Amino acid sequence: MDGAAGAAIELVGLEKTFRTKDGEVRAVRGVDLRVDAGEVVALLGPNGAGKTTTLDVVLGLTEPSAGTARVFGRRPREAVTAGRVAAVLQTGGLLRDLTVAETVRLVASTYDGRGGADVVDDVLVRAGVAHLAGRLVSRCSGGEQQRLRFALALVPDPDLLVLDEPTAGMDVTARRDFWAAMHAEAARGRTVVFATHYLAEAGTSADRIVVVAGGRVVADGSVDEVRSRVAGRSVSVDLPADTGRGDRLVTAVRRLPGVVGVVVEGSRLRVSAPDSDAVARALLVDLGATGLEVVAGSLDDAFATLTEGEAR
Amino acid sequence: MNTTYLRLELRRFARDRVNLFFVAVLPAFFYLIFGATQDVGDRSAGDGNVSLLILVSMAAYGAVTATTGVGGSAAVERMQGWGRQLGLTPLRDSGFVAVKATLAVLVAVVPVGLITVLGLLTGAEGTPRAWVLSLLGVLAGAWVFALLGLVVGLALRTEGAVGATGGIVVVLGFLGNIFVPLSGVLLDIARFTPLYGYVALARYPITGGAVPDTGGAGSSTGDPLWLPLANLGAWTLVLAVLAVCLVRRGRGRQ
Repeated sequence: MDGAAGAAIELVGLEKTFRTKDGEVRAVRGVDLRVDAGEVVALLGPNGAGKTTTLDVVLGLTEPSAGTARVFGRRPREAVTAGRVAAVLQTGGLLRDLTVAETVRLVASTYDGRGGADVVDDVLVRAGVAHLAGRLVSRCSGGEQQRLRFALALVPDPDLLVLDEPTAGMDVTARRDFWAAMHAEAARGRTVVFATHYLAEAGTSADRIVVVAGGRVVADGSVDEVRSRVAGRSVSVDLPADTGRGDRLVTAVRRLPGVVGVVVEGSRLRVSAPDSDAVARALLVDLGATGLEVVAGSLDDAFATLTEGEAR
Repeated sequence: MNTTYLRLELRRFARDRVNLFFVAVLPAFFYLIFGATQDVGDRSAGDGNVSLLILVSMAAYGAVTATTGVGGSAAVERMQGWGRQLGLTPLRDSGFVAVKATLAVLVAVVPVGLITVLGLLTGAEGTPRAWVLSLLGVLAGAWVFALLGLVVGLALRTEGAVGATGGIVVVLGFLGNIFVPLSGVLLDIARFTPLYGYVALARYPITGGAVPDTGGAGSSTGDPLWLPLANLGAWTLVLAVLAVCLVRRGRGRQ
């Protein structure tokens, strides 16, 4: 690993709390993450895991409540202004009464020296929307609009591409085409970070998976590493038939150190934690649980356990 | 300023036919009904006839409709994710505001220009000074109401905000003494509403401050020049402060 200069993204102790009518929402609760230049990283987690908020901080769209964020060693907004980072946002709106080419031209005009017709034509081709150049955005399908957002992200020729749920709402073909275009960009040496809740997408398109749940990083590594870290490490016990006792057990298990997921499955309680031995011991000795068994699971199961437990 | 963005905004404005009708054609139509075809049109209202006075009023109404529309849709557009998309570019908030403010004034030229042409053809008369100063006043003050549109849009946070703004402008238009001459208590209240100061100021070069009544020409209840100035100044301040507060509230994800 090189020094800080080699890091595309460096997040240290990142926290973000929103104030809403119902009280405070702690969307991000202490994320440490380093992404090196040239990596293709998937941020995997269910809705509400804090993925979008984390990426918003990386893109300078929101300020963290605590901790620091650096993009290529600079403040995020500076990296955006310099054109080093660009993004396809899940909720990025488009102007419906502009054409595809006009939209690209508008965005290109905000960058110094990127407003030329050659830039516009080039990104339209690379994002696969050149044939739609003259079409109004309102007449484009969801997948076509998403590829337009991808074209907009290519305008500054960024070193880091951030994609937030880029294939949401696309059909299978559109999804495959989109990833082909994305891989072509990654092959040019761009760093790519994408958020998704599709496990398959993370597995096939990324070198590294960072699993996020409940505003924290719960697993980080290659696809194989994440599988071995989380799969096969679930412990299940009988759930007492008496609801009061059952609820008390669930509450107590959630408070155990290192527990990342608690799911009730019928009369069984499934608990997942990196240190499953410690959890098994606590369940048997301290909580008097019965019928303990270690459950081997697929990556899908493990992911569901990890993230569902945290989302509550 | 980013002229590419401004040009594309003008193109969007031209594409929205329905909006174009309400912004450009409706005020002109109002002028023809209330101004050009009235018997009282030829009477004197000071440095111009009553037709010119009504022309200026309708031009002001048209300009306000145009600029509130620009402000309202800017607010709605930002909340529907375009703000986030622009947040990924080097364009600053001040650059966005500059584009929209210029757009508002350019868009206001459309109804004002159309009404002016119609007025010249249908018997609006006045001294050249009255014509020029009144119409310049209409254009110069119009941007303030882009703030009104922005504030309503940011406060309501829905697509309906633009429609609501149109309704608000009609009500404020009546209170601004634009459509029907007001008198008594209602006129006293109206003097505190935002369109009153703006329109009174635009009509000042013609009337010298006289408040139009059903007779058309100057009545006893004249407004000194400071009154519309203070009204417009105060409302500019109020709307600007509200806009800044609402923009701050609206930062981040919606």
